Amino acid sequence: MLLFEQIANGLLVGAYYIVLSLGLSLIFSLGGVVNLAHGAFYAVGAYLAYEIERRLGFFGAMGLSPVGVALIGILIERFALRRLYNKDPMLGLLFTFGLALTAEQSLRMIWGTTGLPFSLPDRLRGQLILGDFIYSYYRLFVLAVAITAVTGCWLLLNKTAFGMVVRAGVRDPEMVRALGISLRPILTAVFALGVALAGLAGVLSAPLAGVQPAMGTEILTATFVVVVIGGLGSFWGVVVAGLLVGAVRGVTVYYYPPAAEASMYLLMVLILLFRPRGLMGEKFEKFE
Amino acid sequence: MKGIAYFRHPLFVAAVALLALPHVVTGTGFTWGIATEIAIFALVGLGYNLLLGYSGLLSFGHGMFFGLAAYATALSQIHWFKGSLWLPLGFAVLFSAAFGLVVGFLVLRRRGVYFSLLTLAFTALTFYIVYRWTSFTGGENGLSGIRRAPFIGLDLDNQVVFYHLIAAIVFVVAWIMWRVVHSPLGSVLAAIRENENRARFIGYPVLRYKLAAFVISATVTGLGGSLMAFLKLFVSADTVHVNFSGEILAMTIFGGVGSFLGPTLGAFFYTMFREVLTGYTSAWQFWFGLLFMAFILFSPSGLIGVGTRLLAPLRKKQEGVGAMAARVTPQPGQEIPAFLREHAPVSGTILSCADLVKRFGGFTAVAGVDLKLADRKLHALIGPNGAGKTTLFNTISGMFAADSGRIVLDNTAIAGLPPEQVVKRGLARSFQITSLFPALTVWENLRLAVQTRDARRFNAWVPSGALPQVNAETRELVKFLGLENTEHALISSLSYGGQRLVEIGMALAARPRVLLLDEPLAGLAAAERERIGVLIRRLTEDMAVLLIEHDIDRVFGMADTVTVMNEGSVLVEGDAETVRAHPEVQRVYIGSGHAHLVAHREQRVSSSQEVLLQLDKINSFYGKSHILHDVSLMVRAHEVVGLLGRNGAGKSSTFKSILGIVQTESGTVTFDGDVISGSPPERIARLGIGLVPQGRRLFAGLTVDENLRLGALARRTGDGVKWDRDRIYGCFPRIHEKLHIKADLLSGGEQQMVAIARALSGNVKLLLMDEPFEGLSPAMVDEVFKSIEQLRQEVAILIIEHHLDLALSLADRAYVLDRGQVSHEGPAQPLLTDLEFRKQVLWL
Repeated sequence: MLLFEQIANGLLVGAYYIVLSLGLSLIFSLGGVVNLAHGAFYAVGAYLAYEIERRLGFFGAMGLSPVGVALIGILIERFALRRLYNKDPMLGLLFTFGLALTAEQSLRMIWGTTGLPFSLPDRLRGQLILGDFIYSYYRLFVLAVAITAVTGCWLLLNKTAFGMVVRAGVRDPEMVRALGISLRPILTAVFALGVALAGLAGVLSAPLAGVQPAMGTEILTATFVVVVIGGLGSFWGVVVAGLLVGAVRGVTVYYYPPAAEASMYLLMVLILLFRPRGLMGEKFEKFE
Repeated sequence: MKGIAYFRHPLFVAAVALLALPHVVTGTGFTWGIATEIAIFALVGLGYNLLLGYSGLLSFGHGMFFGLAAYATALSQIHWFKGSLWLPLGFAVLFSAAFGLVVGFLVLRRRGVYFSLLTLAFTALTFYIVYRWTSFTGGENGLSGIRRAPFIGLDLDNQVVFYHLIAAIVFVVAWIMWRVVHSPLGSVLAAIRENENRARFIGYPVLRYKLAAFVISATVTGLGGSLMAFLKLFVSADTVHVNFSGEILAMTIFGGVGSFLGPTLGAFFYTMFREVLTGYTSAWQFWFGLLFMAFILFSPSGLIGVGTRLLAPLRKKQEGVGAMAARVTPQPGQEIPAFLREHAPVSGTILSCADLVKRFGGFTAVAGVDLKLADRKLHALIGPNGAGKTTLFNTISGMFAADSGRIVLDNTAIAGLPPEQVVKRGLARSFQITSLFPALTVWENLRLAVQTRDARRFNAWVPSGALPQVNAETRELVKFLGLENTEHALISSLSYGGQRLVEIGMALAARPRVLLLDEPLAGLAAAERERIGVLIRRLTEDMAVLLIEHDIDRVFGMADTVTVMNEGSVLVEGDAETVRAHPEVQRVYIGSGHAHLVAHREQRVSSSQEVLLQLDKINSFYGKSHILHDVSLMVRAHEVVGLLGRNGAGKSSTFKSILGIVQTESGTVTFDGDVISGSPPERIARLGIGLVPQGRRLFAGLTVDENLRLGALARRTGDGVKWDRDRIYGCFPRIHEKLHIKADLLSGGEQQMVAIARALSGNVKLLLMDEPFEGLSPAMVDEVFKSIEQLRQEVAILIIEHHLDLALSLADRAYVLDRGQVSHEGPAQPLLTDLEFRKQVLWL
């Protein structure tokens, strides 16, 4: 039963990764930018939530913080990142690296270097107990939100005009423009959406892990691992990879806890050696 | 002058800087320890830049090499080599080399972003292992207990003495790195950075070279880590963390990846910046991050780049080579280099392909080709667009593995060999789209290609400029190509004609027995074509040449044998006269004049005189290639105009220029009263120009329904034609049935219908159709033809079609493009019915 519980915990971690990775993957497929600042947006989301929660409660924070992150994202996209589309993908990678550094340091300057406490929302306290299996309500809540976010993303991408343009733009941006459709606002919106998802993940993690400046850097590499295992640009690849990484982590925690973090990196190395473009990735010439 | 050059030598500069560094650092109030740290970071920067700057590989794994070497130093001293300085140091360096070899072997199988992310994953993996393995590494407490053992009586605990020992090591490594980057190995790394594909096609097994660079870089970085362990006398997991890899990257970028000493400058400023700022604020990383972002946005060449730009007005301009190179017109052909004359002739066939097949998914690009190439002959390969000529080249030269069939080069089977092996066996090729090393000089491009045949090509120590044989052969080649005064110009500043010559020269440098040339004359002016044509002809004195070329007149004038391909197969083969007179060839190129579905139409002149589209002397370029020369044409409302011409004549480029996908350099495009040249494509499309592109370009993975909705999405306004769904289903009933099928799963004909319907679903006054009949079965051709016939009632159409009977029976008027210029314009009818006239205009 403990193994089962560890796997359930692993899947929860996987859910965070999926929400983060979806945004990362979207930004990457359409704009071609590998967003190394994705973790920073996650941290900013958590800090904004910290401020909002004190005034409007947890659910207010959950609603508003991703919006705040999206607005910051829009400013950055409009004034800087936009210049780097269609250039050497390395430039986007380097720029967002600098952005991550600055953002993390900004958090330290504003909120201090030590972590801040973040309490569980009252309504979600307590635990679900099924025989030996114990799982907190908050974790269930996080899973529900993650499932909602993934479903929402899928619907947005597959059932709306916006999503249609995004999917077409990933395939053939020039042809999209030749049909009279401007891609610029779409690129901005996708960046905003992607970082908003990161912000949401940040809010959700705050009650469990607290809020601290380096939280973004820590989760960033894991997010990359999920995207790379799933395959750059693949929606279901990310979902499957997130769950897989979560499950492997859970199993590792059960058998050999010190290797918990290392397990996913090993998984990634193995998968990339046998399936170079990840589980469901397609070939993107410009990234090879 | 020599003396001044000597003082500017980077190694001299490095020595002076290393001597001055501690005084600058202590003079600003910091310790000798800081100076030592800067020196170590400078060393790491030099090692890192071998990958980033010289090989173009962005690694996030160098923190791992640095940190692990530090641990290897500490652990080996604590457990094995107590009281020794050199043994732990040596062990750490060897460990780094071995570890670099293993990691490099795994991660270098991937390129680009995947490579970077893999190094990131390895670093994260290593970090967690180090961090968690507390019993061995000390975990988060780190390891202390490292001793600086005395060395030949020197007291290394004295900071000044220790600095000078480190500085001496840094200088020696700088000297070694200087030799490496200027060695044949270093020169190949630059070639790989510039154009990996071409490096393979001139004969370098690139993986080996990249692996060598990776190992050297890891070793130098490891040496830095080991020295740092002795400096700090403490090792922590921080150095293995991804962030530290990022810091190494930042330092290198900050200094400038483009120059040898750039990263060392970055190390100095990075460390000083940190030390100074930490004095005032705890947030030095904030300012550093901002500065770093500014560098990426405004000066990707780093501090060195900023310096160069600031100093530029003070320096004398290097006028001359560059400007001259831009004007050079090819004047090749005095003496064929001796090294090309060494092969003994083979009687009969030197290269043969038997039943060669290459498929891409469900599409068979090369469908069972048999081809025999006689030695010392010029064999031309012609055929319409999409006939499979370039795919055949790619399959023979090793870019793709054939699905089946044999390729034999002088009794050796070469099918399935990688390009570098094919080149070794004596088959070299040039590329249709110029593929050179743009940031290297003309000389260096050719020298690299010659160097592949030198035994010392992998050498990391001798200067690459000091291989006498290579230099002599390069000189012969430069002379033969007539590029003597432009050797030192960068390829990117060379004229297009010059680049096309170097393109051929790179293939020649391999000393081929068989030379494959893919459209060597494309994009050149008439006089240049003449000269390069003569040069190619002369090459057959010493080798067999297989030539793809669209300038058919020239091909018939110079080739010994001509093979015509169509739809992946060989249509006809023979000498020029046979092929020229062959009815099948005429059918493929100029049509029969009486296709069954061409009902004889009465000459119709559009009743409307209103001009819808007007191109006035437009000029367009792809990079340096001048593709449209003063093209003027006009389409009236409700008129169908054919745009004809051979492959590469500029037809599709005209479409792209109209739509704003390719920017026009001069001239104006007017549509429906608005000047549209200079506008973005989406705006032009919304004004009422619909595109049915070549190859359909439906959005793969999206359904037919979604493709059609995308067509309507942004073009709802305007007073052009807007087809609703009923209209579409009425015209193309098949579309209705397949509405929810993914567009890429439709047959070619169905895809074409969707492409037409997609274009018409939004506001359209003018329809641009690019090869709407390409790849369709006869029945489909019929169907699509009829639907276009109906369209003429509603919109004006500009149509590109290589099937002349079809194009001319649809069109009211026609323009013929030839090498980017309008060579004929007039009513379509005479061209349709008078075959002699058609031949005159379109054939010879």
